[in-house]
Amino acid sequence: MTTPPAGFTRTELIDPFEIHVGPVFERGAKGARRFAFVVDERHINMRGVVHGGMLMTFADAALGQAAWDVCDHASCVTMTMQMQFLAPAKLGDLVEVTPVLTRRTRALMFFRGDFTVGEETIFSVSSVWKILGVD
Amino acid sequence: MTTTHVALPPGAENISRGGFNLFAGPFWRLPDQGGTGRFALLVEQKHMNSSGSLHGGVLMTFADIAMSQTSRAASGARTCTTVSLTCDFTGPGKLGDVIVAEVRVTRQTRTMLFLSAELVCGARKLGVATGLWKIFEQ
Repeated sequence: MTTPPAGFTRTELIDPFEIHVGPVFERGAKGARRFAFVVDERHINMRGVVHGGMLMTFADAALGQAAWDVCDHASCVTMTMQMQFLAPAKLGDLVEVTPVLTRRTRALMFFRGDFTVGEETIFSVSSVWKILGVD
Repeated sequence: MTTTHVALPPGAENISRGGFNLFAGPFWRLPDQGGTGRFALLVEQKHMNSSGSLHGGVLMTFADIAMSQTSRAASGARTCTTVSLTCDFTGPGKLGDVIVAEVRVTRQTRTMLFLSAELVCGARKLGVATGLWKIFEQ
């Protein structure tokens, strides 16, 4: 669980809730990082598949890391997230995403992400982030 | 857990039995008020982000759990799965907040439910969620 998958390193998490549900792994350069987590017993629901709440938390964490890359670690917050649950992820699955910056304005960042297990897209997200203190 | 209970509205029933629901929770069902599904979450240290506010993932998890429970109660189905969910973050949650989710069924068809939820702490609005659920097992 704590060993990074091949090619990945551990993402340094600072939010208590992300540390609680983590670890999160990453590979690639700043601004183009790919993120991943492995579904374990803590993340599943009574049907034995990943809980939607874990996917959404991972999405907020991964897109938040990507937003941080874009705004150079300025304080930014999630304004809105839209999520589509396309297929279940199972115990032991590696869920991966490379967040995509759709557009950046002075105060806002628009992100989307397609989350995959192997070749299959299981979860899709778009979100808007606000850089605090900028009009 | 005893102190947790004191801070919650009367009649709160723990609905977190295992898995992520318990790991991220606990989450509580409150007595129904006129057709609205009501749920509660007490914000603990583990729920926070590094800025001292409630983590967005917790609010979305809470919305998903409250709305999924309401889908099952409204349809009588054993299983309902989340198809889509949109969450607007309208204000920050704080440590010690008792957040209440008020869930309404907008429309129910034979196979689907459309739901909305407001997430509030007293007079503060923390979030608004809308979503679509599929009835899986009758």
